[in-house]
Amino acid sequence: MTTHDHRTAEDAEALTARLTLDGVEVPFAPGETLLEVSRRHRKDVPTLCYDPRLDPFGGCRLCVVELEGSRNPVASCARAAEDGMVVRTTSETLEGYRKTLVEMVCSENRQVDVDPLSGYASQELRELADRYEARTGRFEGKRSGRSKQDDDNPFILRDYDQCISCYRCVRVCAEQEGDYAISVKGRGFDTQITVEFDGLLKDSACTFCGQCVQTCPTGALADRKALRHVDTPGEIEKTRTICTYCGVGCSVDVLTKGDTMVGVQPAMDGPANVGALCIKGQFAYDFVQHEERLKTPLVRGDDGELHPTTWEVALDKAAEGFVKARDEHGRHSIYAIASGRAPHEAAYTTQKFIRAGFWSNHVDNCSRA
Amino acid sequence: MSNPLVDMSKPDTIFCIGTNMTECHPVAATGIKKAVARGAKLIVADPRRIHLAEMAELYLPLRVGTDVALLLGMAHVIARDGLVDEAFVAERTRDAEEFLEHVEAFTPEWAEGICGVPAADIETAARWYAEADKGAIYYTLGITEHICGVDNVQSLCNLALMTGNIGREGTGINPMRGQNNIQGAGDAGALPNNYTGFQPVTDPENQAKFAKAYGHAVDLEKGMTKVTALELCGDAIRAMLIDGENTVVTDPDRKHCEHALRSLDHLVVIDIFLTETGKLADVVLPATAWAETDGVCTNTERRVQRLRAAVPPQGEARPDWWIVSEIAKRCGIPGFDYTSAQEVFDELCSLSATYNGLDWETIDRGEYQWPVPFKGHPGTPILHQGEFVNGRGLFKRIEYRDPAETVSEEYPVWLTTGRRLQSYHSRTQTGRSSGIDYLLPAETLEVHPDDVAAWGLVDGGRCRLSSPRGAVEITVRATRRSPRGTVFTSFSFDDTPVNFLTGSGYDPVTQTAELKVCPVRVEPLPERVSTSG
Amino acid sequence: MPLPTDDDLVARWKDEPAPLLPLLHAFHDRDGHLSDDALRAVSAGLRVPLADLYGTVTFYHHFARFPPGTSAPRVCTGQVCRFQGGLELLEALRKDGATPMPCAGRCDDAVPVLEGHTVKVGRTCETLEARSSPLPPPNPDGLEECVFAAIREPGRATLEGYRATGGYEGLAAAVAGAPETLLTTITDSGLAGRGGAGFPTGVKWRAVRDAAGGPKTVVCNADEGEPGCFKDRAIMDHDPHAVLEGMALAGYASGAHVGFVYLRYEYPETAAVLERAIREAEEAGVLGDDVLRSGFAFRVHVRRGAGAYICGEEGSLLNSLEGKHPFPRERPPFPVTHGYDDLPTVVNNVETLASAAQIARRGADWYRGLGLGEHAGTKVISLSGDVLRPGNYEVPFGFPLRTLLHDWAGGPGEGRTIQAVTMAGISGGFLAGDDLDVTLDEPAVRAKGSMLGAAGIMVFDDTRDMLEVAHACMEFFAHESCGKCFPCRIGTQRLTERLAGAAGPDALDGWSGEVRDIGAVMKATSACGLGMAAPLVTESLMRYWPERVAEHVESLS
Repeated sequence: MTTHDHRTAEDAEALTARLTLDGVEVPFAPGETLLEVSRRHRKDVPTLCYDPRLDPFGGCRLCVVELEGSRNPVASCARAAEDGMVVRTTSETLEGYRKTLVEMVCSENRQVDVDPLSGYASQELRELADRYEARTGRFEGKRSGRSKQDDDNPFILRDYDQCISCYRCVRVCAEQEGDYAISVKGRGFDTQITVEFDGLLKDSACTFCGQCVQTCPTGALADRKALRHVDTPGEIEKTRTICTYCGVGCSVDVLTKGDTMVGVQPAMDGPANVGALCIKGQFAYDFVQHEERLKTPLVRGDDGELHPTTWEVALDKAAEGFVKARDEHGRHSIYAIASGRAPHEAAYTTQKFIRAGFWSNHVDNCSRA
Repeated sequence: MSNPLVDMSKPDTIFCIGTNMTECHPVAATGIKKAVARGAKLIVADPRRIHLAEMAELYLPLRVGTDVALLLGMAHVIARDGLVDEAFVAERTRDAEEFLEHVEAFTPEWAEGICGVPAADIETAARWYAEADKGAIYYTLGITEHICGVDNVQSLCNLALMTGNIGREGTGINPMRGQNNIQGAGDAGALPNNYTGFQPVTDPENQAKFAKAYGHAVDLEKGMTKVTALELCGDAIRAMLIDGENTVVTDPDRKHCEHALRSLDHLVVIDIFLTETGKLADVVLPATAWAETDGVCTNTERRVQRLRAAVPPQGEARPDWWIVSEIAKRCGIPGFDYTSAQEVFDELCSLSATYNGLDWETIDRGEYQWPVPFKGHPGTPILHQGEFVNGRGLFKRIEYRDPAETVSEEYPVWLTTGRRLQSYHSRTQTGRSSGIDYLLPAETLEVHPDDVAAWGLVDGGRCRLSSPRGAVEITVRATRRSPRGTVFTSFSFDDTPVNFLTGSGYDPVTQTAELKVCPVRVEPLPERVSTSG
Repeated sequence: MPLPTDDDLVARWKDEPAPLLPLLHAFHDRDGHLSDDALRAVSAGLRVPLADLYGTVTFYHHFARFPPGTSAPRVCTGQVCRFQGGLELLEALRKDGATPMPCAGRCDDAVPVLEGHTVKVGRTCETLEARSSPLPPPNPDGLEECVFAAIREPGRATLEGYRATGGYEGLAAAVAGAPETLLTTITDSGLAGRGGAGFPTGVKWRAVRDAAGGPKTVVCNADEGEPGCFKDRAIMDHDPHAVLEGMALAGYASGAHVGFVYLRYEYPETAAVLERAIREAEEAGVLGDDVLRSGFAFRVHVRRGAGAYICGEEGSLLNSLEGKHPFPRERPPFPVTHGYDDLPTVVNNVETLASAAQIARRGADWYRGLGLGEHAGTKVISLSGDVLRPGNYEVPFGFPLRTLLHDWAGGPGEGRTIQAVTMAGISGGFLAGDDLDVTLDEPAVRAKGSMLGAAGIMVFDDTRDMLEVAHACMEFFAHESCGKCFPCRIGTQRLTERLAGAAGPDALDGWSGEVRDIGAVMKATSACGLGMAAPLVTESLMRYWPERVAEHVESLS
C-alpha cells in the first residue's frame, strides 16, 4: 500500500460517489482509477507495467477488468472510476486472459527467476508466473530485447534479454527523475530500451539514480553492485533508515545478509523521496564496511604517533585533557564542534557536554563551511 | 525551508539562485523538473551554466558575488511597475515604505553594470516572479557562502515580502541544507547563540530553564563561532572536541586551519575514518557509522526522521552520544547516564518548544515537520502561514558590497567552488564506495574554452591555481559551463585541496566563509612525467 | 543557393505549431538522413530530450539515420504490389540501395517506388515513371455520388475549378449563419466517420464545441496507412479544396481556428497539392484570418508523417503531431476533450471532411437519401487485387459486394474465380465463400465476423495461397505494432512466427490452441484497434481454409 492509497482511502469515506466492485458497493475519490479502488479493497489485480508513482500507461493489460456496458474488458490502471460503474476484477475469462498474457511474457525472456538483489520490483514477473502457473513453455519463439553487454558501468546492469518492454524505466526516468535519459528504440517486438544514440549510460543523460533499476519488474535493469552479493550466505533483510548524504532526507531500506551490508533500496513510501534516490544514496554505501574504517580508539603516544588503545585508556585521556584545560585556562578554553552528519543525539550530547560541563556556549556545528 | 519538499512541483514561477540542485540535492531537484514539465517558469541565477540553467526558461548568468545587485534590480522593477502585493505588505510587513524608497535608486541598468545580467532579463525575472500566483525561491550555499551571505538572504526575503510569495503552498524562501543532519545539529542546540530548538541563550528565561535541566546556570552571553574559535586556538581556546567533521579539508584556508588545530593543547576527534583532521588529534575515537547507528535526523524541510541500525558496528566503534557521554562522565559532568539514543532524544524533545510534541515513538514514520509544539499537534509543513514567527515581516534596506577580494592584476580570475553529483564533501564516504571512480576519477578545473586558449592552457593538461593563501595543481577541463573569466572546481579531492586557496573573508553576522569567491591566478604547467599515489 | 544551416532550419520551425515533424523533415530533406548532429540541433532547438528524440526517430521507418537515406529507393511490397511484380522490382533496384516498404497506397496503379519526394510507378525498372495518381473510375451505374460528385471535373483541384463546381458555397453559407445551424445539418445528415470507426460526425463536432478549454483544433487524419486503402489519396490529389472546406466547416462548428492535415509520408505529391491549395485559399481569403469576410479565422497546416501505420490511430496521430512517441493513448478521455495538446480536438478522416463539404452545400436530406434502405449516405471503397478494374468506387451504404466486384470492377481475370477478399484493408480479415454475399454496410459486414472499416477491399482469385497471404498480413501487423501493449507486441510476433512455420507446436491441436488463445487475448485486451484487428486474419484463415492450415502445421513436423 502506498501513502497515496492511504490518503484516498480516507477521503473516499466522505464521498458519495460509488461503484460496484465484485458485487459490493464501494465509495471512491475523484480521480481514482479502477485499479486504485480495487487495490484499496484488497483485490489482487495483477500488473506488470504499473508503478503507483507514474502516470497510467496501460501497456501490460494484465489489469483488465470487466466493466458492465463495455464490450471489451478495460485496463483498470488507466480507467477513472465513475459513479455507478459495475466492475468485476476477476472471472474465469479474465483469469484466462491473464494467464495467456503471462505465458506470452515469459516466452520472450531468457529466464523468469532472478535474484531479488536485482532491484526492488524485480520479483514481479516471477511472482505472476507462479501465481498463474505460467511456466508452460507455450508461445515459444524469438526472444525480445538484447542485453547491452558493452556497458561496463559498475552500477546498472543492462540485461535487456530480460526486458518485457513495460517502459517503467523510461517513464520513471522522465516522470519521477526528470532526466529523460532512457527511451525506446524501434517498435513492436523489436522494441529496445536504450539511451541517446544507443550508447553507454555514462555518455548519456543518466545520473545513475537507480530509479529504473528499482522499478524494473524483471531484473532487466539490475543493481549490479548488490548482485556482487548473490553468493553471500543469508536471507536478505531490510532495515528502514534515512540516507546519509544531503539534507533532503530520503528514506531508504538498507539490505543486509547476516552482518553484511549488501545494498540499498529506496523506500517507495519515503515522505521526502517517494522512491527516488540519487547516485550517492543508491550506490555509495559501502564505506560503512570499508576496511579503512576506524575500529579502535587511538591515542597519541610519546613518539608523537597515534596508537590503538582501549576505550578505557582513550576516554580517560580524552577527559583528562578537557579537565586540565579547564583547570589551567578556565572553562572558556574548551570548545566543541558538533557534526552535521551524525544524529541529533550526537549534537545534543556535544552541546550538553559544553553547557552542562563548562557552563559556556562555546559550541558550534559545521554549518558555516 | 519555509515550505515542504512536496511543494517543489507546485509553483508557477521558480527562482533558483546559488543552487546547483541537480548535483547537490538531486532528489529535491526532481520536484523542480516536474514543475517545469507541468509548465512552470524556471528562472536560474548562477555564474555557471549548470544543468539547472539549461533547464531554465530564463537564465541569469551573474558575476560571482553580485547577488545583492541583481536582487536589488529586481526589487526596483517590482516596485516601479506596481507589482507589489499591497494587501500582503499592508497586513503582514513592516518598514515597506522606507524599503520601496530605498530601491528606487537601483535600476536594472545599474544592476547590469555590476552583475553583468542584461537589464531586460532582470526585468523579465522580476515580472515573472512578482506576477506568479505561486512564486518560490530556492537557494543553497551560493547565496550564503559570501561575506554578504546575510544580505543575500535578506534580499531574497525582501522579494518574497514585496510579492506576498510566502506562507502559502508552492511559495516560500527555501534554503536547501547540504548535510543530512545539519538542520538537526542546530535543532539540537549545537550553536553558540541558541539552546535546543533555537531558544536564544541570551534570554534569562531560557537560561533558567536550562539551569534547572543541567544543574547549573549557563552563560548569558553567546559563545564564539567555530570561525572565531579556530582563530583563537592556542590562545583563548586550548582544548577542542570535534565530532564528525573533516575541518581541515572542508573549511577555508587550510593552512590556517591546520595551524590552529596543531596549536591546541588537546584535540579529541570522533569520526568513522582517520581523517586529515583526526591525524592532528591527541585522541581519536571510533564512532559507529550510518547504518550502524540508531538515532534521529532532521531534513531540510524540518522533517524529523528515524535512523536505524542495520548492521553491527565495525570493530569497537561506538555511537557518538555514548562516546561524548563517557567523556563527560569522566570529566565529572552530571546528567550523562544515558543507556540509549532514545533517552537522549526524548530529553532533547522535552527541552525544545519546537519538539515538545515529539518523542522517539511519535517520529517512527517520519510524518512530522517541526514546529510540533505539543502532543497531538500535526506538525507544520508550511511556515509563516497567517503570521510570521516574529509578528510582521521586516523589510531590510540592503546595499551592494564587493566581495572581500576582487580580481586584480596578480589574481585576475574568479574561482568559485562547489560540489559534484558523484562525490560528497571530502570523499571520506564516496571515495570509499566502489564504482564512484568510474564516473569521477579525479577533480578538474572547469575553464571556458576561450580562456583555455587565451591563458595558454591545454584541455586535459595541468595548471597551477594560486591565491594569496596558497597554490594547488589541477587538471584543466574546457567547458562552456564556466563563463569567461571564472573557473570552478570542487573541494572533494585531497590531491586538489582547493581550500588552501579560499578564505578571503567571512560574513560579519554568521561568520560563514566566502567560499564562493576567490580571485586566483591560473598558469599552465608542463606535462607531468608520472603520477604517484 | 547555399543549403540552410542548422540554425536556419531551427529558426524556420521552432515557433510554428507542431514543429517537431516538419523540423525533422527539414533536416532529413537537406541531408538525406538524420545525423547525430542533426538530432542534437533539433533537441537543443526545440528543447526535446535527446534520448526521446532518438527513440522517436527510430520509430518511423522512413526516417533514415545514415546515408544513403532518402536517395535509396523504397519499393512497395504490399499485398497487391507483391502480386504485380513488387518483389522482383525490389530485387532489381537493390543495386541502388532499394529497401521494401509496406503498402504505399497505390494499389490501383502498382508498383509505387518512392525516390526522395517523387513517387514513380511501374512494374519493372524500365517502365518506372512519375505520373499523377488515378482518378476514380467513372461510376458505372450512374448512381449519385457525394464525395466523388465533382472530382472528375477538369481543374477541380484548383481554387478556380473548385469554386466553378460549387466549391466553398457550403462554407460561405455556413459562416453566414450560426455554428448551431451547421451542427444541425451535419448531425441530421447521418454522416459518420469514414475512417472506420463510424462515429457520428455531428455529435463529435458538438462535443468539441461544448468541451471546456481551448484553443481547439481540427485534425484531418490523412495518414492512410491501411493496406489496400488509397481513397484519401485520390480525394486529396484531385479535390484538395473539399478537404480544406470540410476542415474549415469543422472548425467553424466546433470553435477551432487551427487545423492540421496529418499526411502519410508516402504521398509527397499530395503534400505539394495541399500546400498549393492552402496558399490559394489563403490568398483568396477563403482561409486565413477572415474566412470569406465572416470574421472567422481558420488556418491549416500540413504535417507529414514519417512511416508508421499506427499513426493512423488517432491517439498515436495526436502524439506524433505533438512530437511525442507515437503510442496510442488510453481512451477515455477521448480527443473531443483531450486531443491535440490535451485540448478539445476534432479528428476526422479525409473522406468524412470532404463529405461534410458536400453536405453543407446540398443539405442533410440530400445526403441521407444517397444511402440504400436504412443506411445514410455513401462510402468510398478502395478496390484492388485480382479484379479487372481496380480503383476507388463510391457506393451507397448497403450496396451488394458482389455487384461491386463483378459488375463494376469487371470481376477476376479470365478463367478465374474470386476466392476471397479482405475487409477494412486487412483489418477485417478475410471474407470468402458464401460470406461474399454481403452488403457494404457496417452491420452486415460485422455479422460475418469482419468489419467494413476504412473500406479497403483486396481481391484474391483462386490461384492465391491464402496462408501465404495471411502470413504477409500478419507480418505487416507485427512490423507496424507500436510495442506499447503486450498482447499486440508479442501476439503479432508469435502469430507471424506460427504462420511462417518458424516457431510453435507442430501438432494441429497445439498450434490452433496457441493461435486461438493469442487471438482471443489480443482481441479482448489490446490497447488499440491494431491488436484487436490482427487476429481476424488468423481467425478467418482457420474458418475458411482449415485444410490449408492443417497442411501447413503438418509440414512443420
